[in-house]
Amino acid sequence: MNRIKVLLENLRKGVVTEQYPFRPLRVPERLRGKPVIDPDKCAGCGACVNVCPPNALTMRDDKHSSMRFIVLFIGRCIYCGKCEETCPFGAIRLTKEFELAAESREDLYQVVGLRLYHCPMCGEPFTTVRLIKRIVEALPEEQRAAAIICPRCRESVTAHYRSYARR
Amino acid sequence: MKLYRRSLWVFHLNSGSCNGCDIEILNALAPRQDAERLGVKLVGSPRHADAILFTGPVTREALPSVVRAIQAVPEPKIVLAVGACACGGGIWHDSYCVLGGIQGLYRVLKSMGITPPKTFFVPGCPPKPEAIIQGILLARGLVRQKQVRSEYYEEQALAEKAEVDLHRLFHKYFWVRVPPEAARVKYGVAYY
Repeated sequence: MNRIKVLLENLRKGVVTEQYPFRPLRVPERLRGKPVIDPDKCAGCGACVNVCPPNALTMRDDKHSSMRFIVLFIGRCIYCGKCEETCPFGAIRLTKEFELAAESREDLYQVVGLRLYHCPMCGEPFTTVRLIKRIVEALPEEQRAAAIICPRCRESVTAHYRSYARR
Repeated sequence: MKLYRRSLWVFHLNSGSCNGCDIEILNALAPRQDAERLGVKLVGSPRHADAILFTGPVTREALPSVVRAIQAVPEPKIVLAVGACACGGGIWHDSYCVLGGIQGLYRVLKSMGITPPKTFFVPGCPPKPEAIIQGILLARGLVRQKQVRSEYYEEQALAEKAEVDLHRLFHKYFWVRVPPEAARVKYGVAYY
């Protein structure tokens, strides 16, 4: 009697096997898949690099070509979504893409190269042009002066003006 | 790959994984995602296998057994690095007690005089069973690779123009005298 019950139930359920490679898979609504950096939105601030637990996101400044490289290695990513949470510009987000199999390791990289901004006083690169531009646009007129020089020069300038103030 | 037109028998090799990827591999073989309908069979001995489903970041303890298992698989063989740990070390990539995934293992194999086998990467932490199936099918040449390397480099001229504008702003705000040796006339704009 029990066997007949099981048989009937199985007949009612039908085939449970997914036809995956032949038909596209319906993924869950909130699946955390492949992270993608939108290069037009990214400003190279490095917030995602700071929070990435497995260092799948790395940042490298090349002074020779005056470029900052944000490198995303998907082979090491654990899909925690912290980068998405942290990104102040909404540039990095997790897609629903999960078919990431690749023949070579090189295919697992995403590289975003941004131009470095040089301090107008000392000439040293310290962030990207895009980030400084966005900061300057966001700041009110009277605070913009502090944003366009590097932190070291800002110190020296402040000391300079303060020395006048004491006299 | 012509060699793997027929059924691919896989050997599951755990090199110190957390068992997440291993559970997903078993899921891929279980009835719901049934990889066996595609000719994939899990075998118990590396000597019977065509491919290795490789998981884990290769701990030091596991290294001798892993090397022996890889040597035991008859040629021609392929390796599928399943999961973030096997692909690039995962969150253990800089730990002292692991070799950092398949890259570190191949370094050891090369130092032993063994040519590393052909490798496919299935990233994910853990990868979905369907992603593992896709990796196996990619190794057999039945599906096309979706993941490609993408590069973006900011346009130099636009960025430099923006930088010059910001430097002009600097002179609007500051009366600090800049020493001439620090003046950057790199772009041919004498704005100091």
